[in-house]
Amino acid sequence: MMALGPYLILSLFLFAAGLIGVLTRRSAILVFLSAELMLNSANLLFLAFGRHYGDLQGAAFVFFVMAVSAAEAAVGMAIVVAFMKHAKTTNIDAANLMKW
Amino acid sequence: MMLWIFFAVAFIAFLGALGLVFHSNPMVAGLCMAVAMVAQGALYILLHVPFLGFFQMIVYAGAVMVMAVFIIMAHKSAEQGQEVSLTQTLATYLGAALFLIQAVRAVWSAAPPSFAQVDRAFGSIQQFGNVLVEHYAVPFELASLVLLAAMIGAVVMARRIWE
Repeated sequence: MMALGPYLILSLFLFAAGLIGVLTRRSAILVFLSAELMLNSANLLFLAFGRHYGDLQGAAFVFFVMAVSAAEAAVGMAIVVAFMKHAKTTNIDAANLMKW
Repeated sequence: MMLWIFFAVAFIAFLGALGLVFHSNPMVAGLCMAVAMVAQGALYILLHVPFLGFFQMIVYAGAVMVMAVFIIMAHKSAEQGQEVSLTQTLATYLGAALFLIQAVRAVWSAAPPSFAQVDRAFGSIQQFGNVLVEHYAVPFELASLVLLAAMIGAVVMARRIWE
């Protein structure tokens, strides 16, 4: 019989991995994918708790998170492409036009 | 039995995440992300919500990954230039370690019980549709607007506006 604990721990580890990826990778695409990983770990948490309480509202939230992150992926990739054309690199340190 | 399947799939998901974060070749890192996404979809199926698992595989391992891999391949050396400073790297690892220690301790001390039994219909697409229409009809429509706006925004952003 499965319990809630292993799912929570896995989700925390995935979140921490995504956090490290966001803060240490330099390629804009990989930073973006790491952020997606963090979103997905939260999704896993939603579903695990939904299963725990026998309630499908968690699944509904996951559904909306997926819709929003698909939209975010489309816009994010478009921004990366535009930035790539502009700066000839995807290194996010090159995105310093508006740096204070 | 379920526990062993869970551990196998969780291990694959975690390996994929590690590959995304630590592999030096962006292409391999992107494909590791696809592995992690497929494994997460399998976990959703283990959690009695199979159609969301398939959504996960189609949307992430399919659509998002294809776009990401396309951009990585269209650009020669995606990861160049200076590295992250040592201070930032150390601070990141320290922060992640503290977060993990604290959160795992919280889970450990709460000691959540085993899952309750659910009937076979739990997580079926009918039940999910009922929840969606009863409680989230307006957000569902708003999601379609968000997707439309994102589609138009992506086209506008990716046009040649920088020249």
